[in-house]
Amino acid sequence: MMKRFMLPLCAGFLSQTLIAQNKAAQQKDTLVGENAITVFTATKTERKLTNVAVPVQIISQKTIQQAGSLRLSDILSEQTGLFMTNGFGTGVSMQGLNPDYTLILIDGEPLIGRTSGVLDLRRIAVGNIKQIEIVRGPSSSLYGSEAMAGVINIITDKSKINSLGLTARYGTYNTADIGLKAGIRSSRINYQGFGNFYRTDGFSIRPNSRERSIAPIERITQQHQLGFRISDRTQVSVSFRLNNETIQNNITVTNNGNAINSVGYEKNNDLNTSLQLAHKFNEKVKNTTRLYGTFFKSIQDLITDNGAPYVDEFRQSFGRAENQTDIQFNKRLEMNVGGGYINETARSTRYDNSSSVKTNRIGYAYLQTEWKALDQLILIGGARYDHNELFAAAFSPKLALQYKINPKLSLKASVGRGFKAPDFRQLYLNFTNTAAGSYSVFGSVEAQKIIGELNRLGQISSLEPAFYGLNTLKPEFSTGFNIGIHFQDSKWLVSANIFRNNIENLIDSRLVAYRTGGAQIFSYLNVKNAFTQGIETDVQYKMNKNLSLTAGYQFLLTGDQAEIDAINAGKVFTRDQNGFSRRMSRSEYVGLPNRSKHMANFKILYAKNAFFANTRVVYRSRWTTTDTDGNGLFNSNDAFAKGYVQVNAAAGYEFNKGLSVQAGTDNLLNYTDVINLPNLPGRTFYLTVSYQFFNKNPK
Amino acid sequence: MSKMKKMILVLGIAIGFVACTKDDNGGSTNVVSTITVKDLPADTIIGITPGVPPTGGFPYGAGRYTFFSLESNKIVPASDSASNKWDLAFKGTTIATNSGNSGPGGAGAFVFVGLFDDLKTIPADSTFRIDNAPTAFAIPTGSNRAWYAYDGINQLVNPIPGRVLVIRTATGKYAKVEILNYYKGGTTPATTAPDAVKLSTQRYYTFRYTFQPNGTKTF
Repeated sequence: MMKRFMLPLCAGFLSQTLIAQNKAAQQKDTLVGENAITVFTATKTERKLTNVAVPVQIISQKTIQQAGSLRLSDILSEQTGLFMTNGFGTGVSMQGLNPDYTLILIDGEPLIGRTSGVLDLRRIAVGNIKQIEIVRGPSSSLYGSEAMAGVINIITDKSKINSLGLTARYGTYNTADIGLKAGIRSSRINYQGFGNFYRTDGFSIRPNSRERSIAPIERITQQHQLGFRISDRTQVSVSFRLNNETIQNNITVTNNGNAINSVGYEKNNDLNTSLQLAHKFNEKVKNTTRLYGTFFKSIQDLITDNGAPYVDEFRQSFGRAENQTDIQFNKRLEMNVGGGYINETARSTRYDNSSSVKTNRIGYAYLQTEWKALDQLILIGGARYDHNELFAAAFSPKLALQYKINPKLSLKASVGRGFKAPDFRQLYLNFTNTAAGSYSVFGSVEAQKIIGELNRLGQISSLEPAFYGLNTLKPEFSTGFNIGIHFQDSKWLVSANIFRNNIENLIDSRLVAYRTGGAQIFSYLNVKNAFTQGIETDVQYKMNKNLSLTAGYQFLLTGDQAEIDAINAGKVFTRDQNGFSRRMSRSEYVGLPNRSKHMANFKILYAKNAFFANTRVVYRSRWTTTDTDGNGLFNSNDAFAKGYVQVNAAAGYEFNKGLSVQAGTDNLLNYTDVINLPNLPGRTFYLTVSYQFFNKNPK
Repeated sequence: MSKMKKMILVLGIAIGFVACTKDDNGGSTNVVSTITVKDLPADTIIGITPGVPPTGGFPYGAGRYTFFSLESNKIVPASDSASNKWDLAFKGTTIATNSGNSGPGGAGAFVFVGLFDDLKTIPADSTFRIDNAPTAFAIPTGSNRAWYAYDGINQLVNPIPGRVLVIRTATGKYAKVEILNYYKGGTTPATTAPDAVKLSTQRYYTFRYTFQPNGTKTF
């Protein structure tokens, strides 16, 4: 009975992916202009890239390989408008928003295990990625929480052929990477397996430092996908991914001239499993059911010279059941309707009680309609409703349109709403840093309770105004507007997108109370509004059969409207050369920290027969890092990191018998900034050899 | 130990060299002059407690206030602390006034948000607070409360621009004070400076002030 019910319920996604597979290897970039490239992420259904109304970029497997990328952050750092953030791992900032607000998916399923809102992109190996799909602009109408700036979806390889390949790379700092990839395909079964081992000694660019800015790391990733075709209409697939990493931490604190050393390990594991069942009732109706479970565990174990071990544990789980039905009413009208249920848990030594499990349950439903009103005009309307157990519900609508002026030129416009639910840390953190002034940070659920109790015991010396603002946290919201133009012919591809994101209810930590003795207590409140706006442009020029050039540029302005109002009202001050206070002017305001106004990239690619060579240049203009004039906002009188240029180059050759070699160098100009870019090593080199044992189409 | 001695020595020298300069604001007798005081030591750091946080590793000074008279533009010896001879006393980021339980004087203070030069007359309805140490000073202690913001990431104390300390002196006259800097030489170390530099150069106040000797609230 149950089985009979499940079967028709489940279907669709798989058939879609299989259709995609049958279209064979279309491993092209957005910028290599092939009309047949398909994209899934933008509409949660398979679409021709040229028919997608929202800004989408695709990075192909070939581009990833030729850039010599190992981890997801490597390849994203070379894309227009994206930059990598340091601290709590390597995160990605899109359209000027923090890493917290970009949803990262693997085959459509979200990754968890964020630290301070940052998902460390170095956890993701790129060796088995078929393509990376980047959707810019709020996409919560389909994906729910976290899709405020956009979505990055990693589409992994599906086996099209029987294959077995091995790749080995070695480079500076004893960085080694070995990848094994295998595919088996018969008429009913396809299997794709991937294993990756990565290790590095790490490095420090700070002279005479025992502590490394990139610590020695070992990572082992494995991923298996098994698909089974029950009938022409029904497919089932299971996938499994496990990533284990061990980071060796040597931390030195200098105290009164004496170095206190700690040695320890950080062990992170993430596991993703999914089961998908897709059924095609007829040519017009498809149904997909997806069950997904993911677990993340992080354990930090530190032992200092003088005793006192330190253990920090964090465990998180996310389980989801989702069903989506795609209905094609006619050639002009299609509808996707879906819903699901999420169960999330977390526990941590940094919560009130490491054994108590915090839980959130979410039920959601979404609907999207795509209407081809005219041959040139596609309209998309959609909305999603997320009902949360722990905080207010979120409603996320989206509207998009594409107008094809002629076969080469099209316009896109979209407006959408995105949200990010408060995370467990913001709700339940209960952390006192005895190592630095004994300040405490309490999640919003804990804060009032704990401070009330401390107050009763006479341990609070004063309550700050923010204390009275403590309330049930609301989700953070963004409203995004994107207007773009896209031109493409046989030689040129030009795209430009103007964006504006209004972000409301931003959650930030605020000082809420002082303990007797002066220690500060912080908690989280919905306090800030911000905006980001700018333009992203990409130009590609295919000079001839062998040579192509691409250039990308992003102009970005950010700010906080409340801060701008205060400046305009003459209530913000800075200092002159004498150190005397003076009023700050609007033109001195820089907006949000760590953002560059200008970011650009330039790539030259040469390919002839089995040989390729490329040079990739990435530029970031200066960005502000610290409020040194004490006025609480960022202006031209504050500390800035210098703008810089990074040049990467690679070349490779593919021999006849499945053997290929590639050599490359990253940061050719050897640019370093000890303070602001501790994770950027100087010039590094690598050599990669890969061998394809066999690569056959099944009979 | 010898390090500590050295630091005490440095402290002593620093006190000896407190420089007070006077920039006369034109010759008119109606205009009161603005004085800049440089490198006033305020319980400068003489050592670090043994051990590591949370039990140790904290920098400390001798625990003494530096008493200052706005009227005479001079440091007042600690032996005169129980008198009307001083107006403000500095210890770390704490600025005490000769009022309440800090001293026998009739001082008081409040924080004015705005520019030093814009404060031409103290509004008649202003309320001067008095000290109730250690919890409630007339000039509130703590980051982002009165005159400074603490940058915890870089461990630097930055005076907040646009904050004027409006002072009633021990003898009931009025002055306005703007704290300009908290580090020796009037320059905050770079965020990237070594901890040792940040520690050894802190707790030296540079400030400017205008004192109105005629007892009015107009500068």
